[in-house]
Formats: sequence, structure tokens, C-alpha cells
Amino acid sequence: MNKDQPINGVEWVQRDSLKPNNYNPNRVAPPELKLLKISILEDGWTQPIVINPDNEIVDGFHRWTISADPQIAQLTGGLVPVVTTRPKDSAQQKMATIRHNRARGTHGVLDMSKIVQSMIDDGLSQQEIMARLQMESEEVIRLALRAGIPKTDIIQDSGFSQAWEV
Amino acid sequence: MAIHKKKYIDANVYEKALERIESLYSKFDDVVVSFSGGKDSTAMLLCTIEVAAKLNRLPVTAVFYDEEAVHPTTIEYVQRVSEMPEVNLHWYCLPVKHRNACSNEQPFWHPWHPEEKEKWVREMPAQAITEHPRFQFGMTMQDFGREHYRYTNKVVVQGIRTEESMRRYQVVARKKEENYISKPDKGIYFAFPIYDWSSKDVWKLVQIKNADYNRTYDIFNKTELYEHFLSQRVCPPYGEEPVRGLWVYAECFPEMWHKMIYRVPGAATAGRYGNTELYSQGYKPEHVSWRDHVQNVINTYQGADKADVVSAINQAINLHKKKTDDRIPEDDAHPLTGLSWRFLSKMVTRGDFKGRVMQTLSTHSNNQLRKMGITLEQAEKIYGKGKAL
Repeated sequence: MNKDQPINGVEWVQRDSLKPNNYNPNRVAPPELKLLKISILEDGWTQPIVINPDNEIVDGFHRWTISADPQIAQLTGGLVPVVTTRPKDSAQQKMATIRHNRARGTHGVLDMSKIVQSMIDDGLSQQEIMARLQMESEEVIRLALRAGIPKTDIIQDSGFSQAWEV
Repeated sequence: MAIHKKKYIDANVYEKALERIESLYSKFDDVVVSFSGGKDSTAMLLCTIEVAAKLNRLPVTAVFYDEEAVHPTTIEYVQRVSEMPEVNLHWYCLPVKHRNACSNEQPFWHPWHPEEKEKWVREMPAQAITEHPRFQFGMTMQDFGREHYRYTNKVVVQGIRTEESMRRYQVVARKKEENYISKPDKGIYFAFPIYDWSSKDVWKLVQIKNADYNRTYDIFNKTELYEHFLSQRVCPPYGEEPVRGLWVYAECFPEMWHKMIYRVPGAATAGRYGNTELYSQGYKPEHVSWRDHVQNVINTYQGADKADVVSAINQAINLHKKKTDDRIPEDDAHPLTGLSWRFLSKMVTRGDFKGRVMQTLSTHSNNQLRKMGITLEQAEKIYGKGKAL
């Protein structure tokens, strides 16, 4: 097997030694940025930031952005994982950025609604799904409704019900 | 009411529009251009300026109803228009009641709501007019549009073109004379001097006058949205139809979009799924009946909105009960009433706050009769009240 692949050389470097590129077309909305933070907190660092030999970011700008967050920084003492790619010119580097961003699918509605249904079956509350997937209540409810779960069955707050006296 | 047929005349649409506007100036105290920033209202404004200049009636009075979540490029254009010496633009920022089709939890929203200032997606412009003696909180745009110039002997001109919809065609085709002036209520006059223009005519005018226009069209031009959105009107983003194009804001105006997702509940969800079955009417889970589905969707509404939706549903059901003793069918339209649970599902999914879905009941009934090959009279005998007697 050819081991001459960037992923073989993952290194841990100070986040401040990296610099963003000036062309990144990818915009991440605030809820997805929060989701990224939750993802690193829950699942850990699973993907390195891709850089060129000049320490310029090719892919992973938002992972790098979020690594400034104190909770994230604390996980690794401020270090971030990087792999280095060696584009032969700036066009190839820009293409690499676009390919990293675009070469992914979208989630089918029915499959998403089945997954949400299975989470509800597993006893996760609507609130928990909302928080851990950064979904609004509208999204959880529409997805669950699509799977045939009435709204009244979805809204089960995880806390105890209120006490009462006579 | 009679609907007259189109008859082409020996004049081009541009000359004809100028003639119509000139006649408006002679009939009314003032001509007020309802300006949205869209291309049709640009054409409307340009024609009106030309006529007003000729008649020595400059500056042209124009009103812009700013709906807050407006493309930044549209706002920049309206700003430039407001600085034109030929135009006296009244820039309104009123908390008008608008539909939020993103969410059943909160089916309406109010741009520039004073209590939601921290959620506004833009800063309010300095020249904004924020109140009007005839505006009351709770009014829709249609409500206020009718009140604004009532009993003033001013005519409001709108850049409405019949090319855009059948409903608009019917508005102008009802009268033979002065068919471009309508009088929906006592004391109110609207006019549509460019009703017969095509969208090509609109751009042609911008070109020959070398006029400024809304750069949003250039942005759409650069994307694959060209065909789809070049014809689109400038309208509030969270409504029934616009929800399908909500992703365009994310694509073209990401900074504003990041605020828009927090402006109303459901916006982020509709941005993601606005084009899918989660926001369309024809779907239900396979193992749930249409009847149960109706109940499930009703339960996603709350409070007064829920009551409104339930009352609309009950109205349809009562209509059915008056005509027949049959149960409401699941799927196929009842031949006499057009009703089915599937149809009711469409009503609740859309909210149907304007009653547009319910208006189509008779069409469903007619189609069903045709499919069955029977007349209404025969259907009344077979399915109507007292058939068992």
C-alpha cells in the first residue's frame, strides 16, 4: 500500500501558527458553527485541518475558527491537528478547497425523519435532539411528523412534572 | 362578471402607458407610485417621471413599504431612488402583519416590530416613517394598502402585469373602458398602467433610458437562478410561495441570512427543507390515514391560529354535511362537495389563512363528476341529502 498520503503525516501545531486563505467561498451559518463545536466536544477531533506548506488553510477554516473557543482549546492545550497538501499552483489549491467543501451529499428528508424517529424511540427528548443537533423545534417536529409521530408524542420534556398540593 | 377577451391595438405598450398615466394625472389630485424596488415598479416609476416632467408635476410621489428582510441590493437601489430629485419617496417601516409559512407555531410575523428590535435583520433607515394615522397593528399589507389613500382622490399606481398571473388578468379584463383602473372598495383607486407589458418590455425601457435598476437582478444573473428568479417579484421572504426560494438568501446574501434564521421560528428549517415534502401539501406518512394526518398537523398550531385553522376546516366539513350524508372520503374528492381528508390535509398544511385552498373545492367536485361521467343533477340524486328516502 502506498503510504505517501497526507493523512499519514498528521501533526499537532499551535493554532496561531496557521493563517486563513483569502478566497474561501464557504459560509457557515451560526447554528452550524455551534454544531461544529458540539461535534468536537462530543466526538473529539476526527479530522485534521488541511494546510499548504506555507501554513495557509486549504480546508477546515471553520474548525480552525472554533479552535479558539476556550472549551475546545482546553481539549488539546491549544494545539490543532493538521495535514499538509502540496498543490502545484494556486489554482490547484483553490480547487482543493472547493473539492473539500463540495464533495459531500445532502441528507434525504425521509432518511433524516427515520433517524429522528429512532432517536425518539430510544427515549431522547425533543429538547435533547434540538440541543445536540442544533435543530430548531420546527425541524424536529416536521421530521418526526413526516415519520408519523404526532406532535403530542414528541414533546416530552426530560424533567419531572410539576408537583402539586391541595 | 364578464371577462373580456384580449384585443391587440395599434400602439406600443410604452406609448400606451404614458397615455394612461397622463389621463390619471388629469382625473386625480395626485398619482402615487407604489414602489417595491422590483423591475416592474422601476418601469412604472420611469414612465410616471416622464409624464410628470411633461405636465410640470415633478417630483413624483412614491411610497416604499419596507419589509425589513429585503435583499441588501434592493435597499441600496431604493436608497438611490429616494435621492433622485424627480422623486419624493415616502419610506415606510411599519409592523405590518405578514405570513410566516416557515412555522405553524408562529404563522405570522411583523417586520420592524418595536418589541423585537434585537432581532431586526437590518438597521432601520434614517428617513423611515414608522407610523401612520391609518395604520393599526394587526393590519396586513392588503389592509393598509386599502386604507392608506382612501377618500383622498389620489390614485395608487402599481407595476402589476397580467403576464404574471391569471388572477391579475381577470382584474383588468373585467371592464372594457379604463380597464387599468380598479376600485376594489369605496373611496379607493388603484391603477395598473403597465398591465400589458412583458418582462422584456420592462428591461427594454431600462435599457433605452439607460436607467438605474435593482442590482439584485445582476446577482441572480450570475447564478443559476437566472431563469427562475429573474421574473420573481420583490416580496417578503417567509410567505407561502417565497419559502421555496428561501435558500437563495443563504446563497446570495449570507450575512443577512445569518440574521434571518433567528428572525422568525422555522426559518432555518424552511431554508433547508423549503423545497421538499416537509413543506409541501401532498405528502403524509404511509401508515397514517389522511384523517389522522389532518389531526396531527392541526396540533402543530397554537392558540388563536389553531382556532382559525380549525374553524376553516369546520366550515368545509359543514359545507359537506349540508349537501350529503356521506362520510368524507379519504383520498378521492366527493363528487358533490369536492371534499376529501386529503383535501383537508392540504388546507391545514398551508394554513389557508386566505381561504385560497377552499375556493378550489368546486373545481375538485367538477373534476370528479367528469371523471365519473355524471352530471351534477345525477350526482345530487345518487349522493345528495335524502337519497335513501
